[in-house]
Amino acid sequence: MRQYRYIITVLLVLCSLFFVPAKAVERTILLGPKTIGKAWRDNILIEPRHFANAKAGDVLTVYNDRAKGMAQAAFQHPKTWQGVAPEYGCFGFAGPFRMTLSDSILNIARTHGIILGGHDYRILRVTLSEAADYTETIVWEGPAVTMKTDWSASAEIPGRCFESLQEGDGLRLHVSKVQEGAAAKLMDFTWNALAPSVDGMPVGEDGVTWFIYDRAPLLKLQLAGYGAQTAMRVGGKGYRLEKIGIVRQTGEVSEDLTDVQRAPREYVLQQGELFRGEKVFPADWSGNISLTAAPFQNCTENDVLVISYTLDYEVQAAGVKAQLSIRNSRWQEITGAKEPVWYPLDGTDVVYMFDPVALDQVKTRGLIVTGVGFTLTKIELISAQ
Amino acid sequence: MKHLISFLFLCFFTVSCVQAETPEDVPPTVYNLCNESATQETVQLWKALCSEYGTRALSGVVANVDWNTREAENVFKWTGRYPALNVFDFINIHASKDVNKQGWLDYSNLTPVTDWYNAGGIVGCMWHWQVPANNGTNYTCSPGTQPGETSFDPEKVNDPSSDEYKRMIHDIDQVAGYLKKMQKRGIPVIWRPLHEAAGNSTEFSGGGAWFWWGAKGPEAYKALWRFMYDRMVNFHKLNNLIWVWNSQINDPEWYPGDDVVDVVGRDNYYALQYPLAKEFRYLQTTYPNKLITLAECGNGDEVEMSPWTKIWTEGGHWSWFMTWYDYNYNAGTSDEHQFAGEKWWKDAFDSGLVIDREEMKKLLEVTK
Repeated sequence: MRQYRYIITVLLVLCSLFFVPAKAVERTILLGPKTIGKAWRDNILIEPRHFANAKAGDVLTVYNDRAKGMAQAAFQHPKTWQGVAPEYGCFGFAGPFRMTLSDSILNIARTHGIILGGHDYRILRVTLSEAADYTETIVWEGPAVTMKTDWSASAEIPGRCFESLQEGDGLRLHVSKVQEGAAAKLMDFTWNALAPSVDGMPVGEDGVTWFIYDRAPLLKLQLAGYGAQTAMRVGGKGYRLEKIGIVRQTGEVSEDLTDVQRAPREYVLQQGELFRGEKVFPADWSGNISLTAAPFQNCTENDVLVISYTLDYEVQAAGVKAQLSIRNSRWQEITGAKEPVWYPLDGTDVVYMFDPVALDQVKTRGLIVTGVGFTLTKIELISAQ
Repeated sequence: MKHLISFLFLCFFTVSCVQAETPEDVPPTVYNLCNESATQETVQLWKALCSEYGTRALSGVVANVDWNTREAENVFKWTGRYPALNVFDFINIHASKDVNKQGWLDYSNLTPVTDWYNAGGIVGCMWHWQVPANNGTNYTCSPGTQPGETSFDPEKVNDPSSDEYKRMIHDIDQVAGYLKKMQKRGIPVIWRPLHEAAGNSTEFSGGGAWFWWGAKGPEAYKALWRFMYDRMVNFHKLNNLIWVWNSQINDPEWYPGDDVVDVVGRDNYYALQYPLAKEFRYLQTTYPNKLITLAECGNGDEVEMSPWTKIWTEGGHWSWFMTWYDYNYNAGTSDEHQFAGEKWWKDAFDSGLVIDREEMKKLLEVTK
């Protein structure tokens, strides 16, 4: 009998373990660093495989550093280069930024992946967490305010709404009647934007959430006290503000990196190097790399361009001949020829000598290397004197 | 003796100027102001510009958005010297307190301009000419059919019964009023309206104008330029203006004509020394009787502007340059100046190839 009691106890413990809901976990899907430099030139594809088991409502978070004051980011469709939703085509941020996956975004992500781009910041890691990782407390329920197209309307939010607000929390605007180009502005009681990133942030159908990772805006909100006085003003255009909630992340963070996607290694360029890394030029002709005219300003006909690469045998096995072409920034042949000149690749470096026409082109417009079936590893400008 | 020398100097320079450094076998280029009734102060400024052309460039900045010398103060903070030129922008005339009770600035208050001028600075004005947007509430320069854009038609300059024509007259007259006040105070103005008209329409197929005044092509644009010139010079008797027209390169069909343009300018935010020198040579060849200026410049999205020493050494001998403003830097939300920061300005002044406000003051004394 004692034995049975023991077995029953063990079974009960096992059953209870089985039925305790698993705590939601934020898992890393992409590991940087990946520098997103100036002028929207840099980006990285978050691969479709990460979204195979994702659900609508899950949240993609981009942890970053080295963001300049006016850094912007974008989540783009890899085929059209448009934002995966209008509000994600271009937005400012300070601290980590997030995107909630809707059904339509999830569709794009599963089929093509998502391009993460923008300018003037560095991606540290990208994570995926479930909606259950977040709790939300509604702190303001109207009366609703319609933000007209002339930015003239605003809602006054009393200080008591922010009593529980902490660093790391998000302020979520629940909205309706969203028009094209809708934007929100979060202001302190003196009508100044709480941060540059909330001075006209794009508003989508699902509203917008601003996570606070800085003491400064918190202090501004606290200045009004926690009473009935106005602590924040919400303005903007092209939407109706219905409610405001405080969003808090409660889930755990997984340190498991077994299935993580790693950003290509970043190199510090040495003297004369114009590119160093691993840039894939796949079979679909989508690979290219663009260099501005800046490094060519003192270039002469004595200089040569040396392009190093490794061949992609998988692409060649499919019957594609590895080759590259050098164009100007308008995709015209830099030699002045009407048709593109293709250099077949056999594994040895391509050494390009400038004639006067090509020299003028690279000094004026820079160049683009395009092609298929190889991984670009280095572009070097060498004086042949 | 001193007076005699001054008299001879003035006889040599009347309204026209001769380029200082010209090879002996080439006849010197004569640069004329197109307005023969130009005020004495305007002629003096013109002489100073001509006398330095090809030798050194005047340094310049634009206002922070509209009606101030904020950027000039930045340059002073970085280098201990003021630029020679400060350019104001009539971008917000619809919000000027003299015409709008809810306005947030006052163009009729000339204090920023007179303070700058009295300190020895050259005054420039440009005009991002905003007109009502299609949504009826905003103002914009951007042409198009979207609510935030404007369908304002520059061709209506030929139709006095149209609303556009009336708006043009209204706005030109408002701006002329401010410029007239400057004239009354003896302030000459480097005047650059209707800039970048061709947009990128001549750069690649599918390109177009990005301001409404270029939206209907070169003929409408040139008519508008001449209309404005006539209204300001002949109707309002504004004789304190030096007229600057902006080329977008390879756009001679947009040029309003020698008789209504004093200076040809170029705006460039891919400001590397080699392409800039090419553009300078192109403009000098295409408009041989006009001063050539770098009317706007700065770091671009893709490249950092070359140091002035390199721009000049490569052959870009622009009459003056004007760097663009950084709103965020001036608001304290960015640590780095987006267009031209401390390092760039220090190089420019250290080069010995650039004139600051103090030197300009002395130059203008000489041409009196």
